[in-house]
Amino acid sequence: MTAYIVRRLLATIPVMAIVALFVFFLLHLTPGDPAAVIAGDDASPADIEGIRRKLGLDRPIWEQFGVYVWNLLHGDLGTSIFSNMPVMTLVMQRLEPSVVLAIATLTVAVAFAIPLGVLAAWKADTAVDRVVMGFSVLGFAVPVFLVGYLLIYVFAIQLRWLPVQGYRPLANGVVDTLRSIALPAFALGMTYMALIARITRASMLEVLSEDYIRTARAKGVATPSVLLRHALKNAAIPIVTVIGIGFALLISGVVITETVFNIPGLGRLTVDAILKRDYPIIQGLIIIFAGVKVLVNLLIDISYTFFDPRIRQ
Amino acid sequence: MKSNVSTAATAPIATNGDTILSVQDLRTHFYTRDGVVRAVDGVTFDLARGETLCIVGESGCGKSVTALSILGLIPPKIGEIVSGSIRFDGTELTTESEREMRSIRGNRISMIFQEPMTSLNPVLTVGEQISESLRIHQRLDRRAAWDRAIEMLALVRIADPKRRAGEYPHQLSGGMRQRVMIAMALACNPQVLVADEPTTALDVTIQAQILNLMLELKDRLGTAIVLITHDLGVVAETAQRVIVMYAGRMVEEAPVRELLNNPKHPYTRGLIGSIPRRKSGGARGRTRGRLQEISGLVPSLREPIPGCAFAPRCSFATPRCITEQPPFEAHGPRHFAACWEVARIEATSSDQLVSSPT
Ligand SMILES: Nc1ncnc2c1ncn2[C@@H]1O[C@H](COP(=O)(O)OP(=O)(O)OP(=O)(O)O)[C@@H](O)[C@H]1O
Ligand code: SF4
Ligand SMILES: [Mg+2]
Repeated sequence: MTAYIVRRLLATIPVMAIVALFVFFLLHLTPGDPAAVIAGDDASPADIEGIRRKLGLDRPIWEQFGVYVWNLLHGDLGTSIFSNMPVMTLVMQRLEPSVVLAIATLTVAVAFAIPLGVLAAWKADTAVDRVVMGFSVLGFAVPVFLVGYLLIYVFAIQLRWLPVQGYRPLANGVVDTLRSIALPAFALGMTYMALIARITRASMLEVLSEDYIRTARAKGVATPSVLLRHALKNAAIPIVTVIGIGFALLISGVVITETVFNIPGLGRLTVDAILKRDYPIIQGLIIIFAGVKVLVNLLIDISYTFFDPRIRQ
Repeated sequence: MKSNVSTAATAPIATNGDTILSVQDLRTHFYTRDGVVRAVDGVTFDLARGETLCIVGESGCGKSVTALSILGLIPPKIGEIVSGSIRFDGTELTTESEREMRSIRGNRISMIFQEPMTSLNPVLTVGEQISESLRIHQRLDRRAAWDRAIEMLALVRIADPKRRAGEYPHQLSGGMRQRVMIAMALACNPQVLVADEPTTALDVTIQAQILNLMLELKDRLGTAIVLITHDLGVVAETAQRVIVMYAGRMVEEAPVRELLNNPKHPYTRGLIGSIPRRKSGGARGRTRGRLQEISGLVPSLREPIPGCAFAPRCSFATPRCITEQPPFEAHGPRHFAACWEVARIEATSSDQLVSSPT
């Protein structure tokens, strides 16, 4: 078990190294003078020179790379060109809303999707199954912003149950945070609900045709227990994989939701940085997002051992 | 103390002791895209308490479907028991509610499946899987069920049962897994055990051990066994009575010695027939070995067969065989066969019967 985890952990190192290398050369692979690119079309030569010095672009490239890696290993992602704040600090400020939103979204999605997926698999090829799967197609097809504005209109403007927009940090009380995150979590959760329900159904269908399910029935096990105790745990691996990938995607991909609901998360930080060509922030975000994905992958792999004893060796 | 076989069918009556399971004219169909598959097409037998009955026949002749029908495990919508009766200890199973069937399965009628590798749940420990029946049917609490599961593992002679109970199926060998299946099936002391090719997937040496274990436990617990097999050696060593199936129908039934020494149906003769020639080739004698290949194809079960299902492969076939189904009737004490030409066949020596393989 420990050996398995250590092996998985070591396997993340080369991945992160390649990402770091890519991010470093990102700036240098852009055609033309990177400093001029960053400064934009209507910058004076003095501005460009300033940026060049600030980013250390005037030094030899291997020296730049050495400094970059050295800083990276110490958790220093560079400094924003415009706000002069360390990128790490900017990211950390924006991390909480994004992580809270991602977790809330997945919680909502999983809470609905797994029971629905199990139900659809159990009632496969019946009206129940078709309704659930039809709903899941809808969940995919309807854009998040549409659902978002609809939810705001009904629950915030008409019913006045929840705030229209904005994010309340955890520090000011969990209930307020949850109220502020409820609508975006549902809006964003629809897609994931659809995805996870689909995977759950497919994975359950496969497991339900296995011999050991017949054995369970031959023992006199009742249907709920066949579904949950005998089948769901066997069907879990594809499901947790999708949930994990969903989490990673959510952290990096909440741009639209954060915009609709005016949440100051990583999505907004990314958009702003790209619009302003704040390269250090963009580079830092790529590293952070890659890191989150690698970490989530690692957690998914470790979670497999919980579901499948055969992987534990 | 009741004998419910009041309907005087042409069926053979259970021989010794009273009947625990009585199957009458069972028909089980599957509905596939290509049409209706008549997997079981009129099977009738009685099983006495404590008896061992073997069912043999080529692949696809409906042995497993017969077994699954008895347990009420035919997947709904895909297939169903279309007619016939299955009486178990006085209860009609074909009309029983799912709830009642659940209380019988794994408790009073158990089943062992062919594939020990895939028939155990890979994510539950073997102890959990054995305890489960005990918790469901005997309402034992977790601890008591676990202790009893360990006892069952010891009973099927698994070494170090305490440790093994906590292990997962992938940590056990094929033979051990089948022992676990037996422990699971016998945990609630069932009256009937249906074993569907329990040793087919195992090594030859392990096969004998598992069979002996089953027979020993059956004697000790007084369980009646329906043993489904391909292997005539297994039949010779275990059965008291044998049923030969072909294309969903019964073609012959007799006590084991009678069947092996004096087969009446050409199909049965074909199964056993070529074995003496092996002896002359210097191989071991008797009836060890799998069913012999018989030339010709098994008929499609998708078309109703008006006559004898074996006719296309039978060297004795007459025009009547193709149009009229031969009745399953007595041709000797406790010996039944479904063939129009038994008299003519009995007049032919068995040497002439063995057609040389093409
Ligand atoms: N779920 C199913 N759907 C459709 N047809 C089925 C199904 N199960 C069994 N059959 C058909 O029923 C017939 C009898 O199958 P069965 O499994 O009883 O054969 P068997 O005698 O046990 O053979 P084997 O020795 O290979 O196990 C076969 O023709 C098979 O194709
Ligand atoms: S009934 Fe006819 S075809 Fe069928 S086994 Fe007898 S002789 Fe052969
Ligand atoms: Mg079978």
